[in-house]
Amino acid sequence: MVAYKAFFKVISKNLTVLMIYVVVFISLAMALANTYSPAGEASFIDAKVNIVFINYDEETEIVRGLRGYLEKNANIVDISDETEKLQDALFFKEAEYIVKVPKGFSEGILMGETPQLESTAIPTSPSRVYMDNMLNKYMNTVKAYITTMGDISHAELVRLVATDLEEKIPVDLIDSQLELANNQKRAYYFNFMSYSIFAVLILGVCTVMIVFNKPDLKKRNLCTPVKIKHMNLQLVLGNISFALLTWLVMVLPSFILYGGFMFTTKGLLYLVNSLIFTIAALSISYLVGNILKSRNAMSGAANVIALGSSFISGVFVPQEFLGSTVQKIASFTPTYWYVKSNNIISGMESFTAEGLRPVFLNMLVILGFAVAMLSMAMVLIKQRRVSN
Amino acid sequence: MVITVKNLVKRYDDLIALDHFNFEVKEGEIFGLLGPNGSGKTTAINCILSLLKYDKGTIEIYGKPMSPDAYDLKRNIGIIMQNVAVFEELNVYENIDYFCGMYITDKKLRRQLVEEAIDFVGLRDFRKFYPKKLSGGLLRRLNIACGIAHKPKLIILDEPTVAVDPQSRNNILEGIQRLNKEGATIVYTSHYMEEVEEICTRIAIMDKGRIIATGTNDELKGMINSGEKLTVEVLKLEHGILEGVRGLPNVVSAEFYDNLLIVKSTKGKNNLVALLDYLKTKNISVGKIYSEPPTLNDVFLEITGKELRDQL
Repeated sequence: MVAYKAFFKVISKNLTVLMIYVVVFISLAMALANTYSPAGEASFIDAKVNIVFINYDEETEIVRGLRGYLEKNANIVDISDETEKLQDALFFKEAEYIVKVPKGFSEGILMGETPQLESTAIPTSPSRVYMDNMLNKYMNTVKAYITTMGDISHAELVRLVATDLEEKIPVDLIDSQLELANNQKRAYYFNFMSYSIFAVLILGVCTVMIVFNKPDLKKRNLCTPVKIKHMNLQLVLGNISFALLTWLVMVLPSFILYGGFMFTTKGLLYLVNSLIFTIAALSISYLVGNILKSRNAMSGAANVIALGSSFISGVFVPQEFLGSTVQKIASFTPTYWYVKSNNIISGMESFTAEGLRPVFLNMLVILGFAVAMLSMAMVLIKQRRVSN
Repeated sequence: MVITVKNLVKRYDDLIALDHFNFEVKEGEIFGLLGPNGSGKTTAINCILSLLKYDKGTIEIYGKPMSPDAYDLKRNIGIIMQNVAVFEELNVYENIDYFCGMYITDKKLRRQLVEEAIDFVGLRDFRKFYPKKLSGGLLRRLNIACGIAHKPKLIILDEPTVAVDPQSRNNILEGIQRLNKEGATIVYTSHYMEEVEEICTRIAIMDKGRIIATGTNDELKGMINSGEKLTVEVLKLEHGILEGVRGLPNVVSAEFYDNLLIVKSTKGKNNLVALLDYLKTKNISVGKIYSEPPTLNDVFLEITGKELRDQL
């Protein structure tokens, strides 16, 4: 295993450059864990609409009950009943909704009729729908009691309606804001990891392959009694070991940052996805390492391939913000499918076969890239051997 | 026989690099392959090592056909390439250990062999140095150490002294002779005829992909008609006397410049005496006298009609 050992000696001589990428990645991951906040609101905050309540009816129990209901669910602002003032109030958004109780409203209800409340609102305002629904809800409840109970006093009707409408169904948000933020952080961590892994693998693998492919050294190695097959096997083993080591170093901070989460199904999916991506990145690096002949071209290749694919695949900018053409181009890189899987995993709450299917399909696509690139590298190596 | 090459032909498109190339290397000798640049020395070595495919011919090492997968044969060969082939990322010790490790799997034995190779080439003080920190001469020594550490029976050195300072060159040549004394058979290619004359027990002269002469140093010189070159210091020489010198037996040419009379002659036992007698009869006082035997350059010149030096 002399070549295998030499592989790591060559790597260790270039460790400084590789460590820059690792340190930058870990630093960013740490910074992200402490500062990142999600873009959108995730929890519900109850908001009250400013309304004007005008009564043309008498001050009956029903009208008082309606006003009381509205006071609880909206802010009643005091604006006098003058057309110009009411229009100004709507224009300047002092009030978004005006409700007028017509004369004979209470009596009409008790008679079993369906008197209409007049309303005016700012056009296109979402508050209009909200307030309409609120008033309909009140009126429908009143009507339901009149229809079923018939002979009922005003006070009793108002009490029953108020009790009914105060009923609230407790709703627990499964995705709290914190959980959503954590999910996004983890997805971002693993998305960003693709860039670092890609860059480190290209630089590391290329460094070694360029050294071993130097014509003089290659010729010298061919003079030794070590079979070509064994020599190549040692180099392949070296590449695999290096890739696994890089992956371990990159995922290790995730265990420190996210602790127990990494042992959940979601955490495991992230790990499997990143491991499969590492295999694809290794194949591409191996191909590039066999194409490149100088170290000067190496850092250029690392930037173009790792950074370029990360940019167009949604590592730095969410995929939904990327244009369709960009996404089509990105789909020819494993990074795109890797990020896509991470985003799916991030949003998953239950792990059914149906839900996991796209994730596994994406993993297969990434593995397909790995096989294709490795095959290309093999063909290239064989062609060179034949031509020599 | 250690190496037997018969009728080797290697073509690069229209160029014939090796044209029915034949030679044999016997056990225990230092065999020199001498020829100008582009004569096919490195191509021949690459074919012998199965690094190049050839069009025709056979190559046998220790009586067995040489091929890319003749790993048993490769185990007995040490190769020192024309270009230094070491890892920039490995230090002196690690480089020698790497190449020795390709042949020797036993770690203890390998450590001992590596240390011996370091001492052999005199790199003890530089064992932790990386190749970039070594001078050209030291780098060549490292290249040699990488090739000989596993104590091969056959060592092939392809122009190991190119671009090396005189001190390192002497060191390398002495080392090659020591390796030979320790039992290794050496194949040494060079375009420096002085080196080949100095260390090789048998020499093959190459030109245009062919062996044009083979033999010991003396045998090669015996093949040609040229005798020694005589240089006599005189203060003044009239044209008539110079013509007289040219008319002496065996004299091929005679020139006079910078107070030096330079006479080239064919083989003859008394060329120097005859010249000095003639000058004495003409009352010419002589100063220093030099007599140089023919060189391999003269051999090359006589066989090919061109100077070996001109080709360098």
